[in-house]
Amino acid sequence: MVQLNLPQNSKVNKGKYFKDKTGSKNIRRINVYRWDPTTGENPRIDTYEVDMDSCPSKVLDILNKIKNEIDPTLAYRRSCAHGVCGSCAMNMGGKNGLACTKPHAEIKGDIDIYPLPHLKVKKDLIGDLSGLYKQYQSIEPWLKNNSKSETTEIFQSKEDRAKLDGAYECIMCACCSTSCPSYWWNGDKYLGPAVLLQAYRWIMDSRDEDRKERLQKVADELKLYRCHTILNCTSACPKGLNPAKAIAEIKKMLATA
Amino acid sequence: MENNPLSPHIQIYNWHISSLVSISHRITGIINVMTITFICIWVGLLLLGETNYEIIKFFLNSLFGKFILIGIIWSFSFQILSEIRHFFLDLGYGFEIKTTKITGLIVIIGSFPLTIIFYMFGRYIL
Repeated sequence: MVQLNLPQNSKVNKGKYFKDKTGSKNIRRINVYRWDPTTGENPRIDTYEVDMDSCPSKVLDILNKIKNEIDPTLAYRRSCAHGVCGSCAMNMGGKNGLACTKPHAEIKGDIDIYPLPHLKVKKDLIGDLSGLYKQYQSIEPWLKNNSKSETTEIFQSKEDRAKLDGAYECIMCACCSTSCPSYWWNGDKYLGPAVLLQAYRWIMDSRDEDRKERLQKVADELKLYRCHTILNCTSACPKGLNPAKAIAEIKKMLATA
Repeated sequence: MENNPLSPHIQIYNWHISSLVSISHRITGIINVMTITFICIWVGLLLLGETNYEIIKFFLNSLFGKFILIGIIWSFSFQILSEIRHFFLDLGYGFEIKTTKITGLIVIIGSFPLTIIFYMFGRYIL
């Protein structure tokens, strides 16, 4: 059921204000979503004044600066800092993206940083993605080939390989799935753009022999057809991929099969 | 994980042209179904006599009635354009971010002149 309001324990309160101590003239206010699992209080928005003269260009640099210089209690995920691992996916300035590749100059005014939308929060900017990983597992994202022995190479033509372009690059950061209103309301049943893009990737793989079963598996009112081409996924993808188009292709394959 | 809060979603997420068109498509769809039901009832009232028909006709010719009427015509205009857009999306075309923005804008802006055309057509030609 569509629940537009947040539950009582998720209502966001105003939090602390950290005034700038460096005396810099180039200051930006950063509003960060905070929730501490040990206190039992509601989430709050803490505001930090950050000196931008000594801050590199990306949003992740701001978070690092806050954690290193202002407030070490801030929790967020990050690893590679080059847009490859997908750990630092979060909602910045009202849009999902990777903090390590999002330039803060692109956001006007104060910068609002939230965890990925409509997830159970573990702490501060860390959302629980276990539901999404379970769904990813359910599409069996591995090669299924029964006819060839395990020791011979399975060949793939250049043309067949090219069909995977735009699908295999996905880093499973969940920016797309958590930007999708349909996934917000039906996340327990609808697979969501990230998982469907991967489903498409395995359906399209010429080496895979389970194509029919894979198609049949996603051909479900809730699993697949909850996509209403809202297209938030495509506009959110930090890798420039197009999950909405992949979903449309799956629908097309099912309609023409 | 029972007591963990839910992170904000629709409250904080930016609206894009494509999401705006999508939700409007659903709302206008519901309005259109209600409108068609209303027209059926209106036609059905003909069987019960002229006066029933006249009452609704009187209402639709009042200022408030005209406002409702034009709103309904806009709803249909929007649905027609949006449905054409969806037709191409279903065929697998127009998924690039730039294209979705342009087609979305065409749907939103185009629905207004189409409303005027339909209204004028109904008023002066039919």
